[in-house]
Amino acid sequence: MITSHESQRAIDNYLAALRRELRDLMEEDMNDIVSEIRAHIVDKNTAGTDIEQTLAGLGAPRELAARYCTEDMMRRAEAHRSSVQKARLAVRWTFVIAATLALVAISAAGYFVGGGLIIFGVAKVMWPHGTGLWETQGPGDQWGLGLSGGSGNAPPANAHDILGWWLLPLGFVVGPALIYFTYRLGRWSVRKLFPRRKSQFALSEAQTEV
Amino acid sequence: VKEENAPTPESADKWEIQLRKGSLELAILAALWAGRLYGLEILRHLEANSELVVGEGTVYPLLSRLRTLGLVESEWVESDSGHPRKYYRLTEAGRARALEMGRTWSKFAASLNNLVAPLNGAVRKEKP
Repeated sequence: MITSHESQRAIDNYLAALRRELRDLMEEDMNDIVSEIRAHIVDKNTAGTDIEQTLAGLGAPRELAARYCTEDMMRRAEAHRSSVQKARLAVRWTFVIAATLALVAISAAGYFVGGGLIIFGVAKVMWPHGTGLWETQGPGDQWGLGLSGGSGNAPPANAHDILGWWLLPLGFVVGPALIYFTYRLGRWSVRKLFPRRKSQFALSEAQTEV
Repeated sequence: VKEENAPTPESADKWEIQLRKGSLELAILAALWAGRLYGLEILRHLEANSELVVGEGTVYPLLSRLRTLGLVESEWVESDSGHPRKYYRLTEAGRARALEMGRTWSKFAASLNNLVAPLNGAVRKEKP
């Protein structure tokens, strides 16, 4: 029931302006929106509402388009935020798994070497002649390095003890220190990799204080 | 309460606007519960069945968002008036969301009604 050319021109101008303001959207979405708004205007006009009144009810093309674009930006932001969060989570867990594996390997090596040094330090005190880090010169210029210790062990033939009494500070100072620092490293790494979250109770207490 | 901190009619209006805005999504989903409607029918349904007088420029962008969220689906249908209309209907996710929001709303409104019951008595006394 569009009665005049002026009214038709007003609708066309409004929809053309709306289309311009929606230019950032995809073409399909833009056409869909413009068609729906046109149908709305025609339906209201058919029901007897004045065209100018309907256009005023819709708001200026820029305002209406801004509402669509805001909704569209919110959707994109949500989707973007979601994908960024997923990527961050994947990177975080990859790092945590790799760091945990490295930590297990370093801890095992630290405890093994530290414990070994202590055992050999004790053995050096109890069996000084049979315990040491031996450098051997075998037949055919074969060179060997071995750590041995025990009550029944004697130095290998043609062997030279590289460490000598240095095995004592290694066993009683470096060994325990290695175990201690391995333990501290493990504690620190676990705290960093798996930080404890505050309990709900602790949080509500803090909020009450505020 | 100091006079300078007392709520102004303007802030009360803003609160009411925010309340209406916040309930609009539920109102649209509820309007579509019985079946498909096009935009103008949704507006008329809201006006007829609630005190929600929604701006025409508000409801269409919101419908667009609900469609993108998968809560409603739309289709263009030829009408007797000579031009196609875009009808909206609830999806399964939309029906589930409407039920969830409806339950939350009813529970919240009931608890708040208890809280404001003494105020309603005071309002009745104030009326001439």
